Amino acid sequence: MTSLNQTIQDVFNEPSCGKNQAKSEKERKKGCTKQLQPGGAAGGCAFDGAKIALQPITDVAHLVHGPIACEGNSWDNRGAKSSGSKLYRTGFTTDMTENDIVFGGEKHLFKAIREIVEKYAPPAVFVYETCVPAMIGDDIDAVCKRAAEKFATPCIPIHSPGFVGPKNLGNKLAGEAMLKHVIGTKEPEYTTPYDINVIGEYNLSGELWQIRPLLDELGIRILSCISGDARYEEVAWSHRAKAAMMVCSKAMINVARKMEERYGIPFFEGSFYGIEDMSDTLREIARLLVERGADGELMARTEAVITREEARAWAAIEPYKQRLSGKKVLLVTGGVKSWSVVAALQEAGMTIVGTSVKKSTREDKEKVKKLMGDDAHMFDNLAPREMYRKLKDAEADIMLSGGRSQFIALKASMPWMDINQERHVAFAGYHGMVAMVAEIDRTLANPVWQEVRRPAPWERAGDVAWQDRALDAPGHVASVRSANPPDTGRATVRGKEAA
Amino acid sequence: MPQDANKVKDHFELFRGEEYVDMLARKKAEFENPHPAEEVARVREWAKTEEYKDLNFSREALTINPAKACQPLGAVFAAVGFESTLPFVHGSQGCVAYYRSHFSRHFKEPTSCVSSSMTEDAAVFGGLTNMIDGLANAYAMYKPKMIAVSTTCMAEVIGDDLNAFIKTAKEKDSVPEDFDVPFAHTPAFVGSHITGYDNAMKGILEHFWDGKAKTAPKLERVANGSINFLNGFDGYAVGNLREVKRIFDMMKIDYTILGDQSDVWDTPTDGEFRMYDGGTTLEDAANAIHAKGTISMQEYCTEKTLPFIAAHGQETAAFNHPIGVEATDSFVMEVARMAGVEIPDELAKERGRLVDAIADSNAHIHGKKFAIYGDPDLAYGLAKFVMELGGEPVVVLSTNGGKAWAAKMQELFDSSPFGAGCQAYPGKDLWHMRSLLFTEKPDFLIGNTYGKYLERDTGVPLIRIGFPIFDRHHKHRYPVWGYQGGLNVLVTILDRIFEHMDATTNVPSKTDYSYDIIR
Repeated sequence: MTSLNQTIQDVFNEPSCGKNQAKSEKERKKGCTKQLQPGGAAGGCAFDGAKIALQPITDVAHLVHGPIACEGNSWDNRGAKSSGSKLYRTGFTTDMTENDIVFGGEKHLFKAIREIVEKYAPPAVFVYETCVPAMIGDDIDAVCKRAAEKFATPCIPIHSPGFVGPKNLGNKLAGEAMLKHVIGTKEPEYTTPYDINVIGEYNLSGELWQIRPLLDELGIRILSCISGDARYEEVAWSHRAKAAMMVCSKAMINVARKMEERYGIPFFEGSFYGIEDMSDTLREIARLLVERGADGELMARTEAVITREEARAWAAIEPYKQRLSGKKVLLVTGGVKSWSVVAALQEAGMTIVGTSVKKSTREDKEKVKKLMGDDAHMFDNLAPREMYRKLKDAEADIMLSGGRSQFIALKASMPWMDINQERHVAFAGYHGMVAMVAEIDRTLANPVWQEVRRPAPWERAGDVAWQDRALDAPGHVASVRSANPPDTGRATVRGKEAA
Repeated sequence: MPQDANKVKDHFELFRGEEYVDMLARKKAEFENPHPAEEVARVREWAKTEEYKDLNFSREALTINPAKACQPLGAVFAAVGFESTLPFVHGSQGCVAYYRSHFSRHFKEPTSCVSSSMTEDAAVFGGLTNMIDGLANAYAMYKPKMIAVSTTCMAEVIGDDLNAFIKTAKEKDSVPEDFDVPFAHTPAFVGSHITGYDNAMKGILEHFWDGKAKTAPKLERVANGSINFLNGFDGYAVGNLREVKRIFDMMKIDYTILGDQSDVWDTPTDGEFRMYDGGTTLEDAANAIHAKGTISMQEYCTEKTLPFIAAHGQETAAFNHPIGVEATDSFVMEVARMAGVEIPDELAKERGRLVDAIADSNAHIHGKKFAIYGDPDLAYGLAKFVMELGGEPVVVLSTNGGKAWAAKMQELFDSSPFGAGCQAYPGKDLWHMRSLLFTEKPDFLIGNTYGKYLERDTGVPLIRIGFPIFDRHHKHRYPVWGYQGGLNVLVTILDRIFEHMDATTNVPSKTDYSYDIIR
C-alpha cells in the first residue's frame, strides 16, 4: 500500500494543471476531485476509472482480480469500438470467494493468468486490483512479475482498489500503470516525422474513426492512441511519437506530461467536439509536428483541409436552420463541451439558454462568455432538484446532457438528448457536429414530447400537477454530513470540521 | 449414404449433406432445362422495380397471398365467446376443420366446433336433413348450452334457409324447443372473417333480444348503468380481454363482455379437459340489452352489430383497435363518460409509465419507416401508434379494408407530419405488399406470420403483430390494449429493431465492432 499511496500522492501533484498548482500543499494532498460524500448519490470508484481508461485496449486480456461484482458490473459497458481484436470484450475475473479471502488469492490469480495465456495467448494481461485483494494483502506485483516470467507474457498490475478514491483518480492510476510498465517497452518498426499520440480518447461510438480520415489525408499517423481502438504494442511504443494530443479532459494529464518529461514529446490539450475546436486541434497537431521537424508545408495543407471541411459542415448544417431557428437549448455537460458545441448550435439558429461549467477551466469559461455574449447563463454544479427547477423555469426546448441527468429532464417534461459518453451516435469531428444537429432536430420533432408535456387528458384544468406538489413539499435535505468535507464548503453541507 | 438408419437426419439437415447438394445440382443441370442463372437473377431484380409494381397493381383477376380469412371463421370466433356454446357450421366439413386448426395453431388450444357435414346429395336436395341430424347429434354428444349456427359457401350457394331449418329441426326434436340456437348467414364469398364476426354477433344478440326467432316475447329494455363491450375479431383476445376486464374492475364499472374468449382459449393443464370454459353467460347476453351503452373496439368488425344495438336505444362508440397513449386515452375516457365514473389514479399512473417508456426509447424508433398490414382496425391502430412513437408508416395495407377505411387512414396520415407520404392500400394482397416493400423501402414490416415470406424475399425485418401468429408462441396471451398493452407493442417493436441491429453487426471480426452490450 505504501507504494500505492506514493503513486496517489504523485498523481495529486500535477505541475501541468494550473488548478492543481494554485492549491496549497495540504489541499493538494486531498486530490483534485470532489470528495466522496457518505449518503449522497455515488459515483464510480477508482477501479471503474482504471477499467474504463484501459478497457479500450483491444487485444489485451483484462483480468479483474476480485469478487464477481467488480467485473460483473463493468464488463464491456462503454461501447468502445475495436477495428480488430475483440478480446477486450471478454470478461475475465478471478471471481474471488470466501476461500480466497481466508487463504489469500495469489495462487488463484496466478492460475487465472496461466489459463488466459494458454487459451488466448494475448500480447499482455492487465491485472486489476480491487478492494478485496488490496485489503487481504495479495501481492499483485509479485504475482504479475512471476507470471510474466513463467508465461513469457507481460502481466501488468493495475493498482486500483475502489476505496482509494473516485473514478477520475482511477483514470490516472491506470495511466501510471501504463507509464510504469508498458510505455517504452517496445520499438515501432519505423517512425515518421508525422507520428502523433492521442491520449485520453476512447473511441466510444467509433469517434476516433471519424477523425482518422482527416489525419490520413494530411499524412499524419496516429502512432498510438491511449487507449481507443489501441493494441498493446502500440501503447508500448508510444514513446516514439513526435507530438501528442491530450483529449479534452484532464483524466490522463499525468500520462501526457510524464511522456513529455521522459521522452520530450510535446503535447497540447484539444478537442474533437465542435467545428472550430476541431480546426484548432488540426492546426495545433500540425504546428507541433512542424516544430519537431516535419516539413513546413504541412501547415498549408492543414489549412486547406480545414477550410474545405468547415465549409462543408456549415453547408450541411444550413438546411436545419429553418426548423431549429429560435429553439432554446440547455447544455448540462461541463468541461470543453460547455462551449465547444455552442457555435454549431448557434449556427443552426438555436439559442443557448444556459450551460453548466462543471469541470470547465477558466479558459473554457472565458470562451463561453465570448461566444454567448453577456447573456451567458453559466452555472456550476447543479443539484438534481435545482436542475429540475431550472428546466421547469428555463423554458428551454431541449436539454443536452449526459445520461445521468436524463431522468430529471424527463420528469421535467423536457426533451433530452445524450451528448456524453453513453450515447450511440458519434459526434466527433466535422461530420459529428452535423450529426449532432441532425440528432437534435430528430429529437425535437419526436411526438412523445408533446405527450410528455400533456397531462392525462382527463385531468381538469387547474389541478396541481404532482411535480409541483413534490416541489412544494417541505423538508428537503437541509444538511449533509461528510466524512471528507469538500473544500468548496457549501453552506448546506455540514462536515466533521464544520461541526 | 446420405441417410443412415442408425442416425436418421431430419429435414433441417438432410438435404444440406454433400450427396444431396450434388445430386440436386446435377438433377437441375441435366434434367430440368433450367433458365440460366443470369436470367433468373435478372427477373428477380426486375420484380423489384417500379415497372413490375405497376404491372402487379394492374392485376385484375388474380389474388396472390390474401391477408384475410372467410366469414365463418369470424362467426366461430364470436360463438366460442359465449358460455358452453358449440359453434355449428352448416355446410361442408372441410371448412370447419380449417377453422379449428387455424385457431388451434394460433391460440395453441383446441377449438370445439362442429359441421353439418353436407355432401353431394345435400348439395342437390338441400341440407335440411344434415341440419336436423347435425343439431341432434351435436346436442346429444357435446351437451352444449347453446349452439350457434353459421354457414359455409356450400349452404349459401344452394340457399339453405337457416331460420326455417332450425325451426324444422326443433319440431323434429333435434334439440328442445327452448334450446338456444342463434344463427347467422356467413357466406365466405362476401366480406371476410370480420364480417362473419359481425354477422354472428348480431345473430346472437338478435336471438336473445328480439324474441328468439319468434319463439319468445321480445325483451323490453329497462336501461341500467352497465356497459357492454365488444372486442371484435382479435388475435389477442386472451390477453386483451383480461386486460380490459382489469381496467374495468379498476374503474369500478358494471360491464358485460359480449363474447369473452379469454378462458376457452387459455385452459389450464390440470388433468381436466374443458370443452367449454368461461364465456359470456347466456343470461348476461340477454340482459346486455338493458345496458346504458356498448363499446366496440373495432369499428369495421361491428358495422352491423353496433347499429343494431343503437336501434335498441343504447349509446354506442366504436374505436379502431386502439393502441398507445392517445388511442387508449380516448378509449378510457369514453368508458368513464359512458359509465359516469372517474378515471382512477392507478390508471393515470399506468399511462404515465407508458409515456415514460416511450420517452426512454423513442430515439430508436424515430424516423424509422414502417409498412403495416392487417385487418382494417388493427392496421389503423398500429399506424396511429407508430406515428405516436415518431415512426413513419409508408404503406398501410388491408386486404379486407374498403374505400371508407382508406379515407379514414388518409385522415390519420394527414393529421401528423409522420404520416406524410404514407398511402393506404385497401383490397390489396401480400403480393402487392411485396412490390411495395421493394419500391417504398420501409425499414420494418408489421404483420402476421405470413409476412415471414415477405421478410425472406425482401429482407425487410418482420415485426409479428396480427392474426394469425403461427410461428411464434403465446403472443396472444399478452395484451395490446390498455396502457399495459401499448407497452407490450412498444417492446415488440423495439425488440425487433434491436435484434435486427444485432443480426447485422454480429459477424466476428467483420461487423462486430458495433455488436454492443448496451443499446
